[in-house]
Amino acid sequence: MSDLQLALTNAAGISSVASFWVFVGSGATKRFQDLLIKVGLCILVVGFMALTIAIVARGIESGRFPLSNLYESLLWFAWGIMGSYLFFCRSYEIRHLGWLASLAAATFFLYGSWLPAGQHEIKPLVPALVSYWRQIHVPPLIVAYAMFFLSGLSAFVQLFQSGRIKSVLFSASGLLLAICAIGLGTFTSCETHILQWLFMGGGLVGVTAGWLALCSVNAKKINEKRAELYDEVEYRSIAVGFPLLTIGIITGGLWANHAWGSYWSWDPKESMALVTWLGYAAYIHLRIHRELSAEKLSLVAIAGMLLTLLTYLGFNSLGFGGLHSYGRFKDGAWRREPNQMELLSSQKLHIEVAELYQVQSLELS
Amino acid sequence: MAQAASGKKLWPKIFVRPRLSVFASVRLAVGLLVTLAATILLGAWCPQISQGGAQKVSEMFGEATARQLIGLGVADIFHSPFFLALISLLTLNMIACSAQRVFPKVRSLKAPMVFLSPQEIARLPICLTVEERLNGDKVLESLAARLRGLGYCVRLQGDSLTAEAGKIGRLAPTVTHIGLLSLLLGVTITSWTGFSGFQPVVCGESLSFARSEHSQLWIGKLPDWRVRVDDTRREDYESGDVKQWYSSLSILDADGHVLKTQEISVNNPLSYAGVDIYQSSWGLDQLVLSFNGHKLSLPLQAMGKLHAAFLPLEGKMALIFSVRDQNQPVRIFAKIPEWNSPRLLSQLRRGQSVRLGSVEVGLEKLLPVTGLQYKSDPGLPITYIAFAFICLGVVLAAIPHRQVWAGLGAGVAGGRILAAGGVSRKAKGPFERKLAQVVDGLRRQQAPVPQGVNAPAGSASIVNVENPASEGMILKEEGNVRSSACVN
Ligand code: HEM
Repeated sequence: MSDLQLALTNAAGISSVASFWVFVGSGATKRFQDLLIKVGLCILVVGFMALTIAIVARGIESGRFPLSNLYESLLWFAWGIMGSYLFFCRSYEIRHLGWLASLAAATFFLYGSWLPAGQHEIKPLVPALVSYWRQIHVPPLIVAYAMFFLSGLSAFVQLFQSGRIKSVLFSASGLLLAICAIGLGTFTSCETHILQWLFMGGGLVGVTAGWLALCSVNAKKINEKRAELYDEVEYRSIAVGFPLLTIGIITGGLWANHAWGSYWSWDPKESMALVTWLGYAAYIHLRIHRELSAEKLSLVAIAGMLLTLLTYLGFNSLGFGGLHSYGRFKDGAWRREPNQMELLSSQKLHIEVAELYQVQSLELS
Repeated sequence: MAQAASGKKLWPKIFVRPRLSVFASVRLAVGLLVTLAATILLGAWCPQISQGGAQKVSEMFGEATARQLIGLGVADIFHSPFFLALISLLTLNMIACSAQRVFPKVRSLKAPMVFLSPQEIARLPICLTVEERLNGDKVLESLAARLRGLGYCVRLQGDSLTAEAGKIGRLAPTVTHIGLLSLLLGVTITSWTGFSGFQPVVCGESLSFARSEHSQLWIGKLPDWRVRVDDTRREDYESGDVKQWYSSLSILDADGHVLKTQEISVNNPLSYAGVDIYQSSWGLDQLVLSFNGHKLSLPLQAMGKLHAAFLPLEGKMALIFSVRDQNQPVRIFAKIPEWNSPRLLSQLRRGQSVRLGSVEVGLEKLLPVTGLQYKSDPGLPITYIAFAFICLGVVLAAIPHRQVWAGLGAGVAGGRILAAGGVSRKAKGPFERKLAQVVDGLRRQQAPVPQGVNAPAGSASIVNVENPASEGMILKEEGNVRSSACVN
């Protein structure tokens, strides 16, 4: 990794943290609020541009499209979150979302920078990834995931602005548990079943509790105009993310058909993308037919955000298999893909081998 | 709003209504979508027998749980009757709903927007007014010009105006659902007439289609030609990581005549007579050794980047042969339980031999094996067309449909007032802001700005999307501008 690229990536990371604090600070003062929000936005724009250049520089340095491992995809994800927030800032006055978007981007930067150094290096590609299809298939997916993430954040703000404080707390705790599961799964060799329960259980209980708590309304906190605004932003980001996800899944199918001879093979990651797709299709139909209130739709969007997280990061870190893992990086990984030496020195295997192959007599000095 | 006046004729009531209406519900659709998603999630979580075999399931969950999961059908969920039933129900639902609710709406696309009176306009979600200057610009024409500039399609009739943009977005459901239905059609055709399979083929041998997989309702036919592997090799990066696998294939007819030859690699398959053959994996299959002249072939197992063969000897001793690829030497290790790791005895290149005690070990051959995936997919063209439709449809769905109505009515003191309103379900905020901007521009044009004074932005008087105070009616005198905002 070149110094320039490192500096730019760091600048982007720092800018996301800085803008987070500036946005938070803007909530504390009435007098400088507008000024601080402008400053926060400027910092975010600078960070976004730095990240854009960093990604391009990485592509030039490696001589290939810079999206081939988890680290690079996290850079893209942060880019997607910052970019889509700025994109929606052009048409909507969404200042209450700024700190959440910066926080999300900063979290993903941090997650990326904590990955083992091997992930940061530029490595050659395995045969299956050498294809121009890769650059058509992956970016729409990552940007779609970022859009869905933003939509989930907007859903939180919508719930808050409609006075559903308890729902916000419950569903946010669900999200936090899910994030914990992913963190533990990435950086420790915690039992995968526990992690899967933590993620699924936490998410499910959180959203369900949030749903049940919808009847508890804090009337003083209600701001209908804002609630409506964030409801719309939530829907807009899904409306933009959904075609991107569709295009990503379909081009993935085209690539798979080209490379392996089947456009669909029920690979876990593939299936998960389909689950997310169906989930958001359900959201869109609920929305068009007005079956649910805006608050309930927000909870559906939060559930969708959890699905997105599961599809994007959960599958690698929570121990699901498949063709699509970005490459393993845990210390304990040999347990799943045994290293030659470990296997050869294992006594158990030695005996199994002796049983398996009929014993041949051979004289050896 | 526009009405689908003649839409019903296409879908006779007698046929569609009584039989299909149960299935035409969107609630059912949402329920099915969610159930399907949950089912697929289960299938993604539990390793599938059709992919990794039952062994993977027990590895992940332990014997007892694995047996239960397999018994319940969770370990082969995509072939379970439940899954098929779910898909069939979804198909039925989609056909019924599309026929009854989605496709007829296409007709309404042709119908023009109806003109509304100023009173009706006042009831729209957003409504703004401007007073026309008595002998000044024609405010309606001016509004039309501004809207055209924004890409709206404008119609004028007397004192009324309608304009819309993004109408094409209303095609989204139709296009998407046609795509989804064609996708189901394509997949069905393939599953009834296509076949596929995977076979590891050792260099020199042939791929036969005899053991192809296909669905139970199959009505297809297997080819009578076969594919011979003439050569297969692996190319590495300098670091030793795999870069690419190659296989040279010949298509032979029943009499052994060569019909076609081609070298394939990952991402570069061979197609012949509707069947595609793909390079999908690569390995070393067998190690042929000679011990004092006696040949012995040992199966090689893939272990990470290496391949290894085991030869147990008398006592607890085993010989281990490991090799990286065809061009590398074979390394010979010995291992007994007391040693923590195997000990390297010697290295062996092709055609060479080494002495181990009284035994002369020679390396005769290293047989590579190429993993070939093949398939015949007659429904593919339809599937691809479906993909195109679905992509187009969902992109169209992101385009917000915006409609504007305006009409001139009598105002105070004999003047006339223009009322402009509109709706956009999908992108309300930006639409309302844009419309407010346009009307604001009209106001400024109507209100002569005194020399030397900065134009009062006028924005205070228009509907402010952010400002909760702007609910209800605001009437404010400002020169000869009278503005009202009604938000409901
Ligand atoms: C179970 C079967 C389904 C039924 C019964 C169904 C029904 C409907 C209906 C009634 C509409 C609204 C049409 C209108 O009001 O103009 C609609 C719109 C739509 N449907 Fe479906 N649908 C189904 C499955 C799907 C699936 C699986 C997708 C996946 C992408 C999908 C994508 C869409 C899209 C993109 C729209 C347009 C939304 C928009 O205009 O923003 N539908 N569907």
